Amino acid sequence: MSKIEDALNKAKKNKINHTPDVPAVIIDETVATPQVLSDAKLTAKSQVLSSKKISQMKQNVSYESNQLAELKIIHSDMGDNTIANTYRDIRTKLLRISKGRNFVAMVTSVTDDSSCGLTTINLGTAFSFDESKTSLLIDCNINNPQLNTMLDIGNTSGITDYLDDENIDANSIIQECGIKRLRLIPVGTKRESATEYFTSLRMRDLSAALLSRYSDRFIFVNAPPIIESADARILADLCDFVILVVPYGTASVSKIYDATLSIGKEKLIGVVFTEIPKILKF
Amino acid sequence: MHSLSLDKLLKILLLECFNRKNFIFIVFVLVSFSVLFVGLNWPKKYTSFSIIHIDKSNILQPLMRGAAETTESTDHVANAKEIIFSDRIMDALLENIGVLESEPSDVELALIKQKIKGGLSIEDVGDNLLKIAYTDSDQDNAYLVAKNISDLFIEVGENSKLEESQTAYDFINKQVDEYLQKLITIEKDLSDFRSNNPDARPGLQTEISNRISKLQKDIEDNQLLLKEKLIKKQSIQNQLSGEAAITISQTKQGKLREQMAELQTQLELLRLDYRDTYPDIVRIKAQLTDLKKALSYEIDHKNTAKDSDRAKDESYLEDSIILSPLYQELRSNFSANETEIATLKVRIDALNTTLQNEYEREKKIFSGEEVLSQLTRNYAVNQEIYQDLLKRRENARVSKNLDEEQKGFTFKVQQPAKIPLLPTGIRFLHFVIAGLVLGIIVPIGLIYAFILLDSRVRHSSIIVNELEIPVLAEVCVTTTREDAKRNRINTIILIVLMAISVSLYIYIGWLKYIGQI
Repeated sequence: MSKIEDALNKAKKNKINHTPDVPAVIIDETVATPQVLSDAKLTAKSQVLSSKKISQMKQNVSYESNQLAELKIIHSDMGDNTIANTYRDIRTKLLRISKGRNFVAMVTSVTDDSSCGLTTINLGTAFSFDESKTSLLIDCNINNPQLNTMLDIGNTSGITDYLDDENIDANSIIQECGIKRLRLIPVGTKRESATEYFTSLRMRDLSAALLSRYSDRFIFVNAPPIIESADARILADLCDFVILVVPYGTASVSKIYDATLSIGKEKLIGVVFTEIPKILKF
Repeated sequence: MHSLSLDKLLKILLLECFNRKNFIFIVFVLVSFSVLFVGLNWPKKYTSFSIIHIDKSNILQPLMRGAAETTESTDHVANAKEIIFSDRIMDALLENIGVLESEPSDVELALIKQKIKGGLSIEDVGDNLLKIAYTDSDQDNAYLVAKNISDLFIEVGENSKLEESQTAYDFINKQVDEYLQKLITIEKDLSDFRSNNPDARPGLQTEISNRISKLQKDIEDNQLLLKEKLIKKQSIQNQLSGEAAITISQTKQGKLREQMAELQTQLELLRLDYRDTYPDIVRIKAQLTDLKKALSYEIDHKNTAKDSDRAKDESYLEDSIILSPLYQELRSNFSANETEIATLKVRIDALNTTLQNEYEREKKIFSGEEVLSQLTRNYAVNQEIYQDLLKRRENARVSKNLDEEQKGFTFKVQQPAKIPLLPTGIRFLHFVIAGLVLGIIVPIGLIYAFILLDSRVRHSSIIVNELEIPVLAEVCVTTTREDAKRNRINTIILIVLMAISVSLYIYIGWLKYIGQI
């Protein structure tokens, strides 16, 4: 599967390289009318259209493989595929759980650790490997925003701005992040009394709208550590399921147990055990 | 760490060790060089020893065998320690090894003695062999002390052996004298007793008892005889009174009646042929009448005599009876019997008196003999022991002389002390090896202990097993090229540092080995 994918990616790359560069203009997604947004049930027509829309998504800048490697993000032509394949496995498992439908998954950790943000990005990236799928990352870790730093994006308006100001359009906060078929909603610039933002109805509407707008869009919410933050617990209610990130040698069993209690058994679909040390080749 | 199988634990240990190679290196350097430092300053110890053969036999034992038991001393080590640690040997030793030349104070002397005692070890190496070893930081010192101690020990031991045989001789000699005195006392007692009791001689009692029984038998015999005689007397008396009746017919009356009967017969015969007027018949009749008259007279006379006799309470004896020879014989028998009875009575009395005397004597003899037999027994026993002791004293004298002549026979130096060439105990090489081994084991052990004690989860199986939460994936740490480069540089530096420290380690070890440090 991965080889075929790689081959496809390469062919695609070659094709892109042959075609002249697209002018560096951000072309907005086809903006959906409020009627469509409120209508949760997507018509069959829109589903058919979605694949066309993906190809219409424009990309102003795309990271090279070596740049992604520096950012520790998985990419299709890694020398050592192990990590990429691991994320592909997770993707398969998640799709099996959701029975192929798109979902909103929250990624949280036991302790405040950068591995949570990286896992969120890599999960999104793994979904975006598939040309028929797009993924959207929402950084909700207001106290310690990681994704824009990790993806090397400046401090632009994000989820807090959207929730704070009703006049801001959802489209305007979705940022490109240099990876194909991957979009990001950063934390944004308004970062005070965060709890209030996520309890708002607007937040609930946003996630529903983002989910229903494209049936092939998979949303990953990067939440703060579950035990330390009330935000994470509120967000867990908004999401379809929760993935708990446990980095190697950082949390005791009791702490993990506390975390699972906070999440609730029905939402938690599993643990991603990360940061396992390896013996580096000389 | 929670329950994990050994292979998982080892895998984690390997990963942790790899991640903490700097820590391992630092601890390695610290530990190995510390051990090396200790090794450099560890005092060398030299042990010199000599082995001494000890003849186990006790001098008093064979001498006193069978007569008295001696306590057996088998703990050579304790004995030797007692001798060696005695002030006598210690002082001699200090003088021999020249400590006293510097005229140390009493406290210093005590300290030196304590040091020597601490370095000394005395052990039984079997087969009557005693190993005397001395350990010191100085080779010569170790040798000197070991040699002097064993020499002094032998000297003192020999002397004590001599003393032992001398003591044995003295002891036996004393015993001999004691028994001699006892014998003399008993002999004196015996002679005193004998002079006081001349009768006291062995077998007297039997003699007396024999005599008593003979006397008793005599008395019994005589008494029997007396009884017999008394019965005889009775019977003679009876006979004497019965004889009158028997002789009645022989008296006058009887004769008269006989005559009368004869005349009557003649008369009857005559009457057959003649009438009563026949002269013969008339004569016979007249004769008969006369006879009748005479008879009645006789009867009257007799009755009168009987009555008068009865009045006089005497058995009436007719003159004719008294005049009878049979009666005379009986009378003589009777009087002879009377004499015998009197004799027997006197004899029995005499015999009884003698018997009483013999009884008295026996009593006296009995108590005397008891004393005598006791004295005799004591004498015999003491004499026996005395003679035995006399023999033993001669043996002891021989043994003593033997010991005086055969000096050095009981203690032999089996292996003399030598100057030790190689130090004993933990050597520097041991420290060098221990430093390297500990340098590796300690940091790894510390990491292992940390993994075991740290409760943080290091393996996904714990989450699955203990919390029953599915693990979606295990993701290794993502490394950038920068990380790899940094790791490479780190590794190179570590290898270089390791090479330098190991070389330094070996160099220091070498310097110590060739004696430059």
